[in-house]
Amino acid sequence: MNPQLEELACLYVLDRLDARERTSFEASMQTDSELAAFVREIESTLEQRIRALPGLEPPAGLLARIEARVDRLPARLSPEQPRTAAPLWVSISRWGIAALLLLGFGAMEFRHLQRNPAAAARPIVVFVGLDSRQSMLSEVPLRQRPKDADASFVQLASLAEQMWEKPSDLPVKLHSTGQGGRGYALFDPSSSEGFIAVQQLPTAGTGQRYHLWIVDTSSGQTCEAGILPLTDATNGLYFFSVQPGFKARSGSLDFFVTTEKTMASESARPSGKVVLGNQRTF
Amino acid sequence: MPPEQENAAAVEEAGLLALAGRGDHDAFRLLYARYGAPLFSLAVRFVGNTGDAEELLQDAFVKIWTNAASYDSRKSRPFTWAVTIMRRTCIDHLRRRQRVPAMAPLPEEAGANPGSATNDDGRQMAEAHEDAGLLREALAEIPSNPRQALELALFSEMTHAEIARRLAQPEGTVKSWIRRGLLDLRATLNSSTR
Repeated sequence: MNPQLEELACLYVLDRLDARERTSFEASMQTDSELAAFVREIESTLEQRIRALPGLEPPAGLLARIEARVDRLPARLSPEQPRTAAPLWVSISRWGIAALLLLGFGAMEFRHLQRNPAAAARPIVVFVGLDSRQSMLSEVPLRQRPKDADASFVQLASLAEQMWEKPSDLPVKLHSTGQGGRGYALFDPSSSEGFIAVQQLPTAGTGQRYHLWIVDTSSGQTCEAGILPLTDATNGLYFFSVQPGFKARSGSLDFFVTTEKTMASESARPSGKVVLGNQRTF
Repeated sequence: MPPEQENAAAVEEAGLLALAGRGDHDAFRLLYARYGAPLFSLAVRFVGNTGDAEELLQDAFVKIWTNAASYDSRKSRPFTWAVTIMRRTCIDHLRRRQRVPAMAPLPEEAGANPGSATNDDGRQMAEAHEDAGLLREALAEIPSNPRQALELALFSEMTHAEIARRLAQPEGTVKSWIRRGLLDLRATLNSSTR
């Protein structure tokens, strides 16, 4: 990366760009994963500097005063976020809820799932195991339909977290050689949301990124579910959502991950090499 | 904090922001539990007294609540986003008051003559407790000019032009020093944690 771009990145993190520069820089970050990764590193450095300040505690009662002010604010609307095929990183912000709120829920609920092969009418979670050669799918019925979108997300997130911590609980088993990476996806067809975990994925080549695709194997309809925000890291657990219009028949859903050139449009069809999932040619 | 833990915390905090953006008070309280102390410390560092810092911390958290729904993880990490809100709140406050800020002493200034830095209670407390570990060592390894430029850019409301005047250098040099300071700090911290 050239020094000028590094300088811009530093000033961006320090909030020292004017509005026009900032907008332009943020647009650059969208298409330059190296730049985005550099910004994250600089942010981390700045955060360490801030956190190294003396740990002065705000006075007791300050939170109550803040909440009193918040309560006096005009009621705000909380419209449902539009569910579009956003990049993974756009939506990852909802992930933290699972770890914080439902540490025990996931394990308990998943045991219920395994014990109750339910009727087809019941909501399901689709598990897809992925390695560099193939994918394997399993549909697991949910005992109860979540009462709202948040409950649905929390349920899915807690399952994803459980699988991440204890892969042996996965209902799909792959006998990966360990070469070329592996992973799994959880997908809730009713909310069009899911999580994908990847491990030991080779570092993407220069100018390339990993794209996640969902496909209805009966119709061939393929839809991009997002771009994995991997840079140097080759492991990760990520949230994704696909456009609500995408519908797959039961049993005909599949996922795969390809490497695509950085500039490829999000709406583009896959054209790169399949690195996880059943091998395909485009 | 190891990078993996740091990233996990960032993901959790992004989730909390998303929930707070939907009106979840519990998520907001958890954010306050995580960010309250470092942002309060930052405010004290900026304005030099705990009284103003309390008011500014309140303002900042009200803004965090109000703007949580618009947080975009593509643009910044959650804590950096909150720090930006806190810094802007402090900067607005200082500029509104149109007074010369009680500038935080530069690291070498503090070391050379700590008694003259300020008589403010909050700042003295802040300096007295400044982390004497890894970060201080890392800062000490950065050449003086880049360190001063970085600290002024981070902890003051001064514009680039004002920093340039203070350091008697062209603005371009100041920006270059800020970059150099950050890269050196990153490199030193990375090597220290390996």
